[in-house]
Amino acid sequence: MNDNAPIFSARTKMSEIITDSSLLSIIERLNIKLGFGEASIDEICHRHGLSTELFLMICKVYSLENFKPEIAHLTRDDIPKLIGYLQRTHQYWTESFFPNLHSNIHTMLESCDETSKKMLNKFYDDYDEEIQKHLDYEENTVFPYILSLVNAEQKKTCEFRIRNFEENHSNIEEKLHDLKNIVIKYLPDSAPQQSRINVLNEIFKIENDLCKHSVIENKILIPLVSKYE
Amino acid sequence: MSNKKYRVTIIEPSEIVSAGLKYLIEYAGTFQVTKIFHNLQEFNELPSGNPNIIIVNPSVLSALGGENTKSLSTKDDTTIIAINYGAYDEENLRNYDGCIGIFNTKEQVEKKLQAALKISSDKEQDENSNELSLREREILTAVAKGKTNKEIADEFNLSIHTVISHRKNISHKLGINSIAGLTIYAVMNKLLDVEDF
Repeated sequence: MNDNAPIFSARTKMSEIITDSSLLSIIERLNIKLGFGEASIDEICHRHGLSTELFLMICKVYSLENFKPEIAHLTRDDIPKLIGYLQRTHQYWTESFFPNLHSNIHTMLESCDETSKKMLNKFYDDYDEEIQKHLDYEENTVFPYILSLVNAEQKKTCEFRIRNFEENHSNIEEKLHDLKNIVIKYLPDSAPQQSRINVLNEIFKIENDLCKHSVIENKILIPLVSKYE
Repeated sequence: MSNKKYRVTIIEPSEIVSAGLKYLIEYAGTFQVTKIFHNLQEFNELPSGNPNIIIVNPSVLSALGGENTKSLSTKDDTTIIAINYGAYDEENLRNYDGCIGIFNTKEQVEKKLQAALKISSDKEQDENSNELSLREREILTAVAKGKTNKEIADEFNLSIHTVISHRKNISHKLGINSIAGLTIYAVMNKLLDVEDF
């Protein structure tokens, strides 16, 4: 565990934990409005109908390395909130992050030779499609299943189980890793340094976000849903 | 290539065959037969001479009830070649890095040993190098063309195990795992024409 990480508790002031952009994005994805004043985490969560336990857990996933979530104190009511969080994350990726990365890649390749341009663009488009497929699967199959389970609508005959989700949880990080190394190591000099750095910074950001997202899905969502199946 | 000769060990029951093989192998001056054993027991009990290549009659191994070529050497970079009297078809010799036929000419023997040796000579050269070896570049090109491990094994006369190990090394050196990413590398480094796929 990282010794420098802030120790959060329910009584910590909400304003004190917003120390970097990833924690800020949690606030945003959970629909928590800024302007906390001196209110504690507990008070703010209560105001937003959110369990303090879940909120602290998500924050710790992002700020403590190798943090292992313990879901014993989470309840059925936390599931829709967690899904809401994941959906907002997906929305941010598809509406803002990936279009932005795409346009940065486009700029980076502008002065490259046609072959590099064509290949890298195709590589990115394929990746984009893979990500989209993955997100669509979660949005259209996994999340509706979980929500109907929580609302006790799910018939026992339904063949889908949350463990199927684990099996289908394809590795969408591999190509990103490849893209990163291609930009660092192999792109021709005609790609301007600054635009390469912009692309790399974006990739570092999303790599971290994807990694934390998987922890939330695999270590919090899946075990929690399994409890109610 | 340096003046250094590659060390070859032969494990072959027939004295006529092993002596003939020694003559053919040493003819061009690239290889030197340092040890000849007539059975596996001798090979296991006596110093093997730390060979670069072991040429073995598959019957010596299958007498043990297996085709386990790995048992011959603890070193990954030892090249294992079969000497085939015609009793084995190529399919059964997949575990070997190469195969010499009883009717091969000395030129063919030389060529086959050289080709099989690339794996280990590259490895020697690669110990201090992060660059791809010649064999790795060839395999990368084949991967980028969409060939399967089995097709690559057939094309280069390697075992599938060896192909997989080459692919791991390639990905490790380049930091690229996906076939799409490897293809981009291959094209950018002119190993492949963009028209090829």
